[in-house]
Amino acid sequence: MVSFVTARPAPQAAGTVCSAVPVGRKFLNTHTKKQTDMDPSEVEFLAEKEMVKIIPNFSLDKVFLIGGDLGPFNPGLPIDVPVWLALNLKQRQKCRIIPPEWMDVEKLEEMRDLERKEDMFTPVPSPYYMELTKLLLNHASDNIPKADEIRTLVKDIWDTRIAKLRLSADSFISQQEAYAKLDNLTLMEINTIRAFLLDTLNCMYKLRSNVQ
Amino acid sequence: MPCERKPMRYGHSEGHTEVCFDDTGRFIVTCGNDGDVRIWESLDDDDPKFITVGEKAYSLALKNGKLVTASSNNTVQIHTFPDGDPDGILTRFTTNATHVTFNSIGSRVAAGSSDFMVKVVEVSDSSQQKTLRGHEAPVLSVTFDPKDDFLASASCDGSVVVWNIEEQTQVISWPLLQKSNDVTNAKSLCRLAWQPGMGKFLAVPVETKVHLYERGSWDHVSTLSDDLLTQPINVVSWSPCGRFLAAGSVGGLLTVWDVNSKLCVERQKHEKGFTVCSLAWHPSGSQIAYTDTEGCLGLLDGLGTSTADKNTTKPAKDYDDLFDDDDDRLMDEGLSDTKSPAKKAVGWDDDDDDFLVPATGRVKNRGAFLDDENSLDTGSLKLGQDKFGDNNDDAGSSVAPAAPPVAPLRPVYEGPMPTPPQKAFQPGSSPAHLTHRFMMWNFVGIVRGYNDEQDNAIDVEFHDTAVHHAMHLTNSLGHTMADLSQEGVLLACPSTEELASKLQCLHFSSWDTNKEWMVDLPKGEDARALCLGQGWAAVATSTLMIRLFSIGGVQRELFSLPGPVVCMAGHGEQLLVVYHRATGFDGEQALGVQLLQFSRKKRQLISGEPLPLSQKSYLSWLGFTAEGTPCYVDSNGMVRMLNRSLGNTWTPVCNTRETCKSKSDHYWVVGVHENPQQLRCIPCKGSRYPPTLPRPAVAILPFKLPLCQTTTEKGQMEEQFWRSVLFHNHYSFLSSSGYEIDEDAQNLSQKEQQELLMKMFALSCKLEREFRCVELAEMMTQNVVTLAIRYASRSRRMALAQRLSEIALEKSNQMQEEEQEEPEYSSTRRTSSGQPRVTNILDNMMSSKKSAQLSSSGGKPSKSPVLKPLAPKPKTKVPSQKLNVFKQGSISRCLCAFRPKTGFQLWLEENRKSILADNPDLEETDVIKEAMGRFRTLSTEERLLSNQLKLFIFKNDFRSTDLNKTDK
Repeated sequence: MVSFVTARPAPQAAGTVCSAVPVGRKFLNTHTKKQTDMDPSEVEFLAEKEMVKIIPNFSLDKVFLIGGDLGPFNPGLPIDVPVWLALNLKQRQKCRIIPPEWMDVEKLEEMRDLERKEDMFTPVPSPYYMELTKLLLNHASDNIPKADEIRTLVKDIWDTRIAKLRLSADSFISQQEAYAKLDNLTLMEINTIRAFLLDTLNCMYKLRSNVQ
Repeated sequence: MPCERKPMRYGHSEGHTEVCFDDTGRFIVTCGNDGDVRIWESLDDDDPKFITVGEKAYSLALKNGKLVTASSNNTVQIHTFPDGDPDGILTRFTTNATHVTFNSIGSRVAAGSSDFMVKVVEVSDSSQQKTLRGHEAPVLSVTFDPKDDFLASASCDGSVVVWNIEEQTQVISWPLLQKSNDVTNAKSLCRLAWQPGMGKFLAVPVETKVHLYERGSWDHVSTLSDDLLTQPINVVSWSPCGRFLAAGSVGGLLTVWDVNSKLCVERQKHEKGFTVCSLAWHPSGSQIAYTDTEGCLGLLDGLGTSTADKNTTKPAKDYDDLFDDDDDRLMDEGLSDTKSPAKKAVGWDDDDDDFLVPATGRVKNRGAFLDDENSLDTGSLKLGQDKFGDNNDDAGSSVAPAAPPVAPLRPVYEGPMPTPPQKAFQPGSSPAHLTHRFMMWNFVGIVRGYNDEQDNAIDVEFHDTAVHHAMHLTNSLGHTMADLSQEGVLLACPSTEELASKLQCLHFSSWDTNKEWMVDLPKGEDARALCLGQGWAAVATSTLMIRLFSIGGVQRELFSLPGPVVCMAGHGEQLLVVYHRATGFDGEQALGVQLLQFSRKKRQLISGEPLPLSQKSYLSWLGFTAEGTPCYVDSNGMVRMLNRSLGNTWTPVCNTRETCKSKSDHYWVVGVHENPQQLRCIPCKGSRYPPTLPRPAVAILPFKLPLCQTTTEKGQMEEQFWRSVLFHNHYSFLSSSGYEIDEDAQNLSQKEQQELLMKMFALSCKLEREFRCVELAEMMTQNVVTLAIRYASRSRRMALAQRLSEIALEKSNQMQEEEQEEPEYSSTRRTSSGQPRVTNILDNMMSSKKSAQLSSSGGKPSKSPVLKPLAPKPKTKVPSQKLNVFKQGSISRCLCAFRPKTGFQLWLEENRKSILADNPDLEETDVIKEAMGRFRTLSTEERLLSNQLKLFIFKNDFRSTDLNKTDK
């Protein structure tokens, strides 16, 4: 029968589990890391709580976990489990993962086009879309039709959004605004820019106060 | 006009098209510019069969199963009909043929060509050709004299010529048409037509009129015209009876004349005004099919009726002309479908008639039958006549001779039509013609078949990889059927010319090294359906036999089926077979079902009873629930389950179509579970079957009994209750056949039922329906009745409470009687016949359950295999046994004092200690009373257990003394 890992490993602080954070990485490494900073792997850890449908190929009664009861698992019958368990089972070839509904080439193409057209951030399919794509495609690409196209599309959406984010940060600083409102940002995106933006603002503040 | 014009439909690509009916009138056959001949079963046939005859097809003719076409490679070729196999080339021209036609008996073909020639060829021997030379331009059309002496042709040189075929000479030539240089430039196609039967008239379309020339004298005797006809007539065609003449014109006008009266009886306009280029009468004369130059096909229906009506309303003068001949009468009757006896009577008054028949509802049917006689008559008449036809002095009779229709008329049967019996299939498989298909999808796993250019293979995959790893087999034998169980894979292929039908079993659970066996079926016997059970395999064959094998390959019993098999399903020791009981009519299938059990005592549980299906549907899935209850789905999406407690009747439990979003969506059922209640199926968008890729996901549908008013609270609860009862049946079946059952689940569902009854009771109480309350109470178990009594007395319904207590008393007496009837330590099965009342379904189930427990605990080890359909629940042996005993006691049969250590005693002992600890000076009876007091404060579940006791105490004491006895 299947034995579960009842405790899942917390992300290692030093590990770069998610390499989807191209911006600010260098910056992070060269500067002293503050307590408030969040590692991408920590964001990924949060994303792993998202539910995903799997088709198990084993049968098991209900399992009672701190986070809630899971199961019963019937072979061949779809069931919702958290991503961390899905990946664990997948790695042990105990299940097939059914990709979330939004992980579909047509829907993502639509989203990408909308994202490119709009000046503002558009709502994303899942608050953890980047992390989930990364995790599922890395571990279960055989269960996801057109995995490569999806990878490219999600990357496109991500790039568009990060570009927008940088642009708005740029205008925010250049216009010396006091506050800005950004809707529909995901945790990972905020996390990407946070350290960089705050440090920059600090730096500029220091420079300006020196000038005066 | 009563004639109905059916909407046009696309038949061929743009350009000249032709149409004809086959001899029987079943098919409409068209050819067109795309070089295809299409065979339409009806105008609504969306998938007509087609035969490709060339790049372009210019003309076609069909008779006696031979299809003659003129195609663009300058040949006239034959194909067989309806198979469409090439059957040789009749003749060739130097350029393409423009029109081909058969003679009346189908022995010769005439073809006119653009190279100015007309050829007459014997169909049986294409070397016997006669060439008719004389036209000075491309030939437009040709037609045979029905007596085969003459042939008429029209040509672009403007002439219409009658030829003597034998002598190959022109008999007469009329310059009637406008000259042109090619068929495509001709104003009109000028399709001539010779009157069928006696061939008295030759109809020639000339501009907007039709000229009729008399055979023999070749005089222009009459002209048919219509004021509305303003454009040239392209084509004319005689009705099979020879009385009516239809014409289609360039402007799309369709006109039908009655030749006798020269009156136009029917006018129809082409819906888009396209040029009609071909016309054909149905052999029965009731329909005209036509095609236009845009490649569309149309149909006029109901002509027979309209024309007959027309006749009956015409003045008597016309009648005299028409009906002075018996044969005419009959023929007319054959055509008519009239339901107005009054009108008919007018006609009959005119002359006395040997064949006078009462006007009943089935006129058409009988008329058609008589028509056959009629054609025989005329056949003999024909012999006696000279080839030019002896004209009767009566003009009327010769104008409308008793012509046999061009095509032999089959008797037209108008009653209920037999349904084609549905083919045998494997439940849970997609159709065999697909290259990638599911050969089986069931509880155990999936068998997929691939049959394309690269690969002919079978993939076996298990839902639970603990059963076996996935397998990939090359399908060299061409297996088309499969079944899958926990023990093996069973495959079968149909026989081929050299090889017999084979049965192959991959017995992967075998403990020896040979994991496979194969059996050849006897010559001439094909496997039609197969299934696997536990330790056995069954194959139904084309010789109406079912052969049983052991899973290891030993041949076992065989028996005959009353009809061709439709499908089979196996589960444990049960075999369910559905077969054709008889021919169904009007879209219904007549299926029968047999259910056999191969346990130690082999028996037939259902012996060939009709299988109820929804109207006009067929069987689409058959199987067992995981718990072993037979179940099936019909093509209307209705799921039905066997109700063993209601004399093996079938209860509809779900309609999958209700949950479908669109009409073309379906659910493909793959499994049914009773506990939990799940209908596992695959949603298919716009189809009945799922594709193999992308891999479909299973969805779960809930069950819902189609009870009335399920929107109301009462209806909802009733539905829930009866569903619970129905899905609870399998426990008693399983335990009676010696399987291990899930006690917890059973008790849970019993509790659910009792709770629902109590809720319904409360609802009826609120609605002041006391009679209904009593009815509900009769369905309750005794301990719940006590609850009901309390509820009734609390809501101050003393009369009701009184009645209920009577019921409670009756129930307890009943139980006591049962206890007494039951011999001590008996392991024999108690039947419900021992009970004074068998209305209480729950009590029945409980009693059988208990007896099963007894038998299993009676020291006789059960040899039957332990089936665990609910395998996922691992059971620890000791606690569950204890629980069993406990529950058993809770049902309060513990009052029987003879049983050693029942659960009740255990329970009482347990509780007595605590009670005695609190009140050490209590009497024995007081102890129990005290215990009751305490239990009232406990949870419902525990209270349920104790309720039984309460009742006894409050009724009288003797039972409690009984209890004391057992305690002591």
